[in-house]
Amino acid sequence: MEHPGLLYVAATLLPLASFLILLIWGGLRNFARRNKATSPALDGVYQILGGDAITRTPAYIATAAIAGAFVLCLTGFILHAQDEHTHGAQPAAHAHDHKHDHDAAHADGKWAAHFEWIRLGSRENDSRGALALDLGFKIDHLATIMFLMVTFIATLIHIFSIGYMSDELQEKVEDHHVHTAHGHLERRGRFGRFFMYLSLFCFSMLNLILADNLFQVFISWELVGICSYLLIGFYYERTSASNAANKAFITNRVGDAGFVVGLLIIWTYVGTFNFDEIFARLRSPLHDSHGAVPLGGAFVRANPGAAEPDGRILKLAVPKPGEEAGSEVVLFPVDATEGHFHGVGHGRKFLRSEVRLSPDLDLDGHGHIPYWLLTVAGLGIFLGCVGKSAQFPLQVWLPDAMEGPTPVSALIHAATMVAAGVYLVGRAFPMFTREALLVIAYTGAITLFVAATIAIVMTDIKKVLAYSTVSQLGYMMLALGVGGWAAGLFHLLTHAFFKALLFLGSGSVIYGCHHEQEMTKMGGLLKKMPITGLTMLAGVLAIAGTPLFTGWYSKDAILVAAYGFTSVHGEHMLLFLAPLVTAGITTFYMFRMWFLTFTGEPRDAHVYEHAHETPWLMTVPLILLAVCSIGVAWGWPVWDAEASAMEKHVHHAQHHAVYTEFGTIVDKDFHEGALPEESIRQAGQAGHTLVGLLALFSAGMGFLFAFAVYKLKTLDPAEAKEQFAGAHDFLAHKWYFDELYSAMLVRPALAVSGWCRDFDRVVIDGFANGFGRFWVWVSKWDGLFDNGVIDGLANLLATMAYGVAGWFRSLQTGFLRSYVLFLVLAAIGLFVLLKYLVSVAVAG
Amino acid sequence: MSPITLNHYLALGAVLFVCGVLCMATKRNAIGVLMGVELVLNGANVNFVAFAYYLRDAQGNSVFLVEGQVFALFVIVLAAAEAAVALAIVLNFYNNHLTVDVDTAEELKG
Repeated sequence: MEHPGLLYVAATLLPLASFLILLIWGGLRNFARRNKATSPALDGVYQILGGDAITRTPAYIATAAIAGAFVLCLTGFILHAQDEHTHGAQPAAHAHDHKHDHDAAHADGKWAAHFEWIRLGSRENDSRGALALDLGFKIDHLATIMFLMVTFIATLIHIFSIGYMSDELQEKVEDHHVHTAHGHLERRGRFGRFFMYLSLFCFSMLNLILADNLFQVFISWELVGICSYLLIGFYYERTSASNAANKAFITNRVGDAGFVVGLLIIWTYVGTFNFDEIFARLRSPLHDSHGAVPLGGAFVRANPGAAEPDGRILKLAVPKPGEEAGSEVVLFPVDATEGHFHGVGHGRKFLRSEVRLSPDLDLDGHGHIPYWLLTVAGLGIFLGCVGKSAQFPLQVWLPDAMEGPTPVSALIHAATMVAAGVYLVGRAFPMFTREALLVIAYTGAITLFVAATIAIVMTDIKKVLAYSTVSQLGYMMLALGVGGWAAGLFHLLTHAFFKALLFLGSGSVIYGCHHEQEMTKMGGLLKKMPITGLTMLAGVLAIAGTPLFTGWYSKDAILVAAYGFTSVHGEHMLLFLAPLVTAGITTFYMFRMWFLTFTGEPRDAHVYEHAHETPWLMTVPLILLAVCSIGVAWGWPVWDAEASAMEKHVHHAQHHAVYTEFGTIVDKDFHEGALPEESIRQAGQAGHTLVGLLALFSAGMGFLFAFAVYKLKTLDPAEAKEQFAGAHDFLAHKWYFDELYSAMLVRPALAVSGWCRDFDRVVIDGFANGFGRFWVWVSKWDGLFDNGVIDGLANLLATMAYGVAGWFRSLQTGFLRSYVLFLVLAAIGLFVLLKYLVSVAVAG
Repeated sequence: MSPITLNHYLALGAVLFVCGVLCMATKRNAIGVLMGVELVLNGANVNFVAFAYYLRDAQGNSVFLVEGQVFALFVIVLAAAEAAVALAIVLNFYNNHLTVDVDTAEELKG
């Protein structure tokens, strides 16, 4: 097959097709239903699209799509395993044949390809030549197995959901959790919508794994976020569900803000989002032009603005041995080859000493990024992962997310989406600085301990599992932070299987008990639900780290990595002790859950009476997942914790930067190193047996304790609760995180917005209103002036004219005789006047 | 018996004039008023003719030729025209008011 990578693209697009079909179908049907009264044509459309009946067809479409994707992924997996180019791509070999390998396996589009999606314009002096966003895929060993895991679990969960969501097939579903004025809420079933959301989620999740660049990951990141939001709020009439959906979404926004900051820094300085290109620019090639001196895939740190001894002025100068590392990280051209670099010095100390570059390579043109900014970029992207993977301090949303239907909890909030954060940290590993990695490790350590302690006191079966998920994700983060790259991602995979199993098991219990989730009302259910009980026991054993179960291999690997790290960096001892102790706590709370649910006397006769084993649609996925939870990580020999085939598979995908930072590169060309990091792996391997025994001891103690308290009843949990009332309250309130955030963020925000509102009301509105009132007042006076003075003057003139005219009018008596009289009198008057004037004139 | 002089004529004119004016001022009958007007006009005519006949300059030559007589003739003609118009008005007035009392003709008073 020429382009087997396209199998994965097809696998990704299948659920999208399913989503679109369901979206258009449902949308048209909804539109037709609402308007069918207006036209017979729409009524006809409505009947064609299925009418009032709610069918299982959407489930079949969605399940077929994801099952098809699984088949494609399986084919791809086999092809990938057979492909010699991808095989044996050990870090060192990979580096030697880097160019060749790149050409052969990636550039030809066999397992990786990308095309330009959006061009934002060109810019000068950039090795890429243009600002463009790509869409692309890159299939490596990690992606193949992630694809396989996601599609497999998603398929099983789709099948399980057909059974679990069967209530939604009714035309009238009564929601007992929502009270209205007329009793319980009644609504139409939302069977199709559920599977539509699932399909969209599957597409987004697969696209996230498929992506070969950070931006595509970000798009998928937001898509899975919105699916999570929609599915948590699936029963959106319930206040708790809609609140939980909002909480999840908003908490994730906090993380995504960090993600965006990281993206912007990378885009600005590195100029590309493509993973391989970012790493190629940030990390030096493995060897220099002689092939002897290892540059080692490290950050080359230099100081700007110093002169070289040979007189050549470089904008960047690498400090001499013994000096402090430079403040800038040199950015290499994307197409840099080893021929461009001349190393000087011996051993890996060289990394911190001197890099001389061949004259034809002008590093200055490719820029540099301040080391602290690179750390910030890493922490920003990690903050996104903290939100998505519910790590401390953003872990608060995941337990509330259990408001969603249980299959959703299994698929999104346990197996896949929440693990996306871990996956991204793994993918972006080479761009994290040591400081960032240390933060990651400590975040994981805090999370895994805090969540595990809370899980001890939870009584809701799903909440126990939710906190267990948070805790296990903490393990993965810790592993990545201490350099156990393969261990962390390995745990991601195994955890996905057994946690999906546990959640589906709890779903089966909840379904069998008619939507009862409180463990305090269960007990003795093993007799009623043997398949569920036994499969869940497999999951519990797996997560507890029982030897030969999947969890054992991965948790062991994590502890070994942590041990190796702490044995070199003694000051970080906590990073080993926390997961070790928590391993015991994990065993304790998981067995507590199992004992409370399945053994002992039934605590609620009513629930017990009506409990029943669930139909085959739900038990078959349970059995399949149980089998995977036991054996999916096996290798040969089975009893060797290091022999897991899955871990080896994941190991193939490991970037050489992991070795650079944390371990010995197994390469005879390498000089025996003197850096402490080289001994981490050796130390871990040396202490393997010890670590394994310690972990077993810790888990064993947890089990014995749980067995004693909840099975033998030698200790009364109620008594213990009373005795440690303070501690119990503290844990039951989830370390008061919600209260803390409420006091720290929510209430201040409310207070500030209250002030703003008051300011608006009093000052802004007051000013506006005062201004308005002032002008009303002015206008009133103006009106008075107009009416009084101006109009008065005009009226006065008119009145005067009127008066005068009236007086003259009275002369017009209408009597002819008086006119004559006037005439005569006037004539006489004139004559008298004339006489007088003439006499005056004569006299004068 | 003294000869008839200009002053005699002027006195006659004045008497006629005053009679006419009094007639106009006192009569309520429109025809009476018209008759008063005729008297006033003729009073004036007497004056025209008298002045034309009697006024002489220092050499004893007549100041006017026939201007006074011509004026008088004009006045007579105008009086006739005026009487015709006035009588027509009076007739119409009578048609509308069934009287010729000028005191009832007061529609245009102020």
